[in-house]
Amino acid sequence: MQTIDQTRPRMRYWSSILREKTWRPTADTWLFIVVHSAAVLLLVMLASLVIVLLPAARLSFQTFGWSFLVDSDWRPNEIDRPKRGPDGKVLMEDGQVVMETLPPQFGALPVIFGTAASSVLALVFAVPLSVGTALFLVRIAPSLKLAGPISFLIEFLAAIPSIAYGIWGLFVLAPFLQNVIEPLAQRTLGNVPGLSWLFTESARISGATVIRSLPLSGRDMFCGGLVLAVMILPIITAVARDVLRAVPREQIEGTLALGATWWQSCKEMLRFGRAGLFGAVMLGLARAAGETMAVAMVIGNNNRISLSPFSPAQTMSSLLANEFAEASGPMHLSALVEVALILLVMSLAFNIVARYFVVGRQVPAGGG
Amino acid sequence: MLGTMKRAAAGFVASILLVGGIASAETKLQGGGATFPNPIYQRWVTEYQKAHPEVKIDYQSIGSGGGIKGITDKTFDFAGSDAPMNKKEMETAKDPIVHIPTVAGSVVLAYNLPDVQGEIKLTGPIVADIYMGKITKWNDAKITAINGGTNLPNLDIIPVYRSDGSGTTFVFTNYLTTQSEEYTGSVGAGKQVKFPVGQGGKGNEGVTAGVQGAKGAIGYIELNYATANKIPFALLQNKDGEFVKASPQTVAAAGEGALKNMKDSLAVNLWNQPGKNTYPISAFTYIIVYKDLGYLKDASKAKALVEFLTWATSDGQRIAEEMDYAPLSDGVQKKVKEAIAGLTLDGKPATVAVK
Repeated sequence: MQTIDQTRPRMRYWSSILREKTWRPTADTWLFIVVHSAAVLLLVMLASLVIVLLPAARLSFQTFGWSFLVDSDWRPNEIDRPKRGPDGKVLMEDGQVVMETLPPQFGALPVIFGTAASSVLALVFAVPLSVGTALFLVRIAPSLKLAGPISFLIEFLAAIPSIAYGIWGLFVLAPFLQNVIEPLAQRTLGNVPGLSWLFTESARISGATVIRSLPLSGRDMFCGGLVLAVMILPIITAVARDVLRAVPREQIEGTLALGATWWQSCKEMLRFGRAGLFGAVMLGLARAAGETMAVAMVIGNNNRISLSPFSPAQTMSSLLANEFAEASGPMHLSALVEVALILLVMSLAFNIVARYFVVGRQVPAGGG
Repeated sequence: MLGTMKRAAAGFVASILLVGGIASAETKLQGGGATFPNPIYQRWVTEYQKAHPEVKIDYQSIGSGGGIKGITDKTFDFAGSDAPMNKKEMETAKDPIVHIPTVAGSVVLAYNLPDVQGEIKLTGPIVADIYMGKITKWNDAKITAINGGTNLPNLDIIPVYRSDGSGTTFVFTNYLTTQSEEYTGSVGAGKQVKFPVGQGGKGNEGVTAGVQGAKGAIGYIELNYATANKIPFALLQNKDGEFVKASPQTVAAAGEGALKNMKDSLAVNLWNQPGKNTYPISAFTYIIVYKDLGYLKDASKAKALVEFLTWATSDGQRIAEEMDYAPLSDGVQKKVKEAIAGLTLDGKPATVAVK
């Protein structure tokens, strides 16, 4: 039903533009041109982004190749140090210490890991809350006349600028975590056998890997995950709410008619909308992965891989925010651009998957 | 009515002519780079323009790296940089360049120990060990040994560093390489390095927030920033074994100490200089120009630049001290004067050619 309506103007306007000898554009024609150029411009912008980024990332790609994705060393500076022989002794030549220079080294694994881990952590906090809220909004809130106010509040959360969340995270959440939550977790979980890794870190200290107790700072992966969770809550809730609303009434009434309890009918609602809910989660994931300023303020900005959520980390976007303006040379800059490309590809993939589940498979609203 | 309009129109035309006339006589200098000296540069520009209304100087605070890019491709008439240009950068610039020290700054170690009274003392090797992750507690024997009388808590040390490339990190890490061989071989020096432990903050404000936000944190920031924000910072042991607090005077002393190294270039290191009253983590910030001012393609621009630099590094120094920057010592001022006298314009000495 939609297709016919949309193709008709296209035929008419193209033919009118091409065939008429004296071209007298009507308001419709102008709108047609503006709308089309806007759409094309959008594609051109995306294409130009890739066209600009690709050559800028070439130097890094040529130097590190695919190992860029799995190397965990991110060191923008050169190191001059005495050269050591195979026996570990410092090499001497004519009474002088032989020096060697380690060139800068760039590997994106820590930030890929940081992005993935902080996003997953955010989902762990946000998904139960969001889906619960969505269910409440669809099943309970209407009868209490609360759907409007609560929806408004949640949408309001989405309108708060990222930097405001960052400041809240830095000055309110992080000190609270350092002074209250993390010591509590250490006193309780720290003594549980098998969980001690939560409070230790392995650091490469002068050539040797050392396991040491983690200084708790409140500015870490955990804090980043929490701030991200608050930030992705609105989008997951809003999409999940729409998905659950689209579940056919008959489906739910059917379950109730068969004697399902209230909870069982809710479960059926979630089951019916699971594809859409998955899409909502993916949209949240995409937002979490790309979020920059707030994360850069609370995650601790350390390019290391550490399994403990209480250690500082770095995400791809926070890395770019931190290092791009004052990169230490062409290789550093190129490596940063390559990280940006990886982020672009990843965000694109998340969004495509999300769209496939939310739009591609959603039950028509009010259908059935 | 018509008369008024005519007069108004005439006035309008006249004012256009007048503005146009001024604009063509105006000499405009474009500079940019380091953020650290930005406040004093802006002040210098304002003061200088008061005395020389025909000169317009613009300084963009975009970071040392941006400044060096700008002077290399000659989009800037002069660049500000905290770190002198390295060999590779000078080769890229092709024509000979000159570093002119303008003021000195210093890096202090700010800490967050709310329950500790009095000032904490640190040494270079201890700071290196902290940033390597070898000293992890505030009551480590090495720290308590030099802080007799101060009750240091059994608290984890959280080292905070700059997560962006910066002259501050450059100066700090270069100082540490003079203090610990182990540090030199494992972490090294640069605008941005990979510290094995700790957490990063963007800019002085990021590090400051990191220090203020977490008990037990220590971070390196510029002296001006620490004094402006009233953050306690440590006394540091200098080459002569004295524990010195950073101040414009103790930093200026470092400049005087480095005087003997100023031969071909004024770009000398100020860290770890001798002298009883010398604060050890100091550095000049520089204005970078080409030795031959022909690239300005305008004799009046060359004249303005030479005069501005001469004024800033002599009379302008008084303002620097007011703003908590370390002024150039007399010896350094003399050297700078010689360097400015050495600038040329199309082969002839610039100071003569422009007069």
